[in-house]
Amino acid sequence: MARDKNTEDFVTPVRRLLVGVLLLGLFGLFLIWRIDSPRVERFRSAVTDKVVPSFDWVATPINGIANLISDFQSYQQLVAQNQDLRRELQQMKAWKEAAVQLEQENAKLLDLNNVSLDPQLTVVTGVVIADSGSPFRQSVLVNVGARDGIIDGWPTMDGIGLVGRIAGVGQETSRVMLLTDTSSRIPVTIQPSGQKAILAGDNTLNPPLEFLEDTALIRPGDRVVSSGDGGVFPADLLVGQVALGTDQRLRVRLSADYQRLEFLRVLRAQPHETITDPGGLLTPEAEFFGPAALPTTAVPADG
Amino acid sequence: MANPVDARTWVNRGAFVVLATIIMIVQLVPQSMAPTIFQIRFPGGIAGPWDVKVIFPDILLAVTLVWVARRPKYLPVWIIALIFLVCDLVFQRPPGLWAGFVVLLTESLRKRSREFRSLPFLAEWGTVALGVIIITLANRFVLAIVVTPLAPLGLTLVQMILTIAVYPLVALVAHYLFGVSKAAPGEIGSRGQPI
Repeated sequence: MARDKNTEDFVTPVRRLLVGVLLLGLFGLFLIWRIDSPRVERFRSAVTDKVVPSFDWVATPINGIANLISDFQSYQQLVAQNQDLRRELQQMKAWKEAAVQLEQENAKLLDLNNVSLDPQLTVVTGVVIADSGSPFRQSVLVNVGARDGIIDGWPTMDGIGLVGRIAGVGQETSRVMLLTDTSSRIPVTIQPSGQKAILAGDNTLNPPLEFLEDTALIRPGDRVVSSGDGGVFPADLLVGQVALGTDQRLRVRLSADYQRLEFLRVLRAQPHETITDPGGLLTPEAEFFGPAALPTTAVPADG
Repeated sequence: MANPVDARTWVNRGAFVVLATIIMIVQLVPQSMAPTIFQIRFPGGIAGPWDVKVIFPDILLAVTLVWVARRPKYLPVWIIALIFLVCDLVFQRPPGLWAGFVVLLTESLRKRSREFRSLPFLAEWGTVALGVIIITLANRFVLAIVVTPLAPLGLTLVQMILTIAVYPLVALVAHYLFGVSKAAPGEIGSRGQPI
């Protein structure tokens, strides 16, 4: 210890001098800065120019590490974030419900005003006046009939989707057989796979799809639209969405709001044109352009 | 200098310079343009919720003080002066003043570093804390005398307290990560020189 102290003492005076000079320099620089700020500031900017750009290559990994840390912090907040998102999703669902209801109401009001969006598909709007009254028949009565030009077999829709078809027309009322009725069979197409099927009512709210070729191509959530086969319905009327029933059968969740059938629009389906005179359309009788005309017109050219 | 310096000391000096550079760069890296002031909102309380501004401690100062108090040989005074002068210049502080005060404080700690070996940690911490308080106030005092724009007093005090509070942590890290700890009695360097 004593030896240590001695060496320390031996160095001290020189060292103390050097430190004093250093301190003088530092405090002197400060004083000069205070007196002649611009000159020292130029010096400062020169030092900054030298020092800071050379940090660039070190700054990149440090930035990366900092990003990593902030990412980790966000992982920690994942649970809270998840809960927040769930809550927001719940609110969004409420809004979506409100939007759907407004859309339906809007469609119904448009119907009431007889707004026709497609001139080919004019509609007659009727009000549902009665239920079938039987648990085995799914049909409703609407207050339009032969007086309004209703014809048997026309499709009826509510604001959104297909409801059923006219089955029985009276003078002032007509009966609409719903898609859920056991005797209802509607040809449908499932989009986007394009599979054809028959929507067969079975007295439940979600009728099953029958005669499907390949169920592997169909997923729950696919759109079901009418196919127009058989000339019964116009094509591309929205029916609903595919859903997998609890009995593992593919069923259709109907788009039409069956809980609240108030206004129905009966589409004036244009009947398919049938071609009865195929020859008359293509070949006028007066002239011959086919091979049968060759002998008479081609002989002069040969000769 | 009269004392021979062995390779290990030079390695440690280099390590300190690298560490100081990293600390400086971390402070300089443009992480976010928002000011690094956090507002902590305490719920409840007598006066309702209130904000406390927290700013980052002066880590570089704490590291320097730990090094000087533990192993003064690893940290010659010219390195301290150079690093803190560069910091003053780069961080837009009045150049030289803070560096000078830091040099003063480290010199006084350097003188007492031999005493710290036999003292408990609390005594060392207390001495360092007193030194930090003195140079912070002195710095502010001088700046006030020469009529320079001053940082808010509250922020300065919070930073000072945090710097003091972070000192034990830095000492721990220095001990376990960099092997900078108090020299044992009778410990000598690789060339037999005193430490």
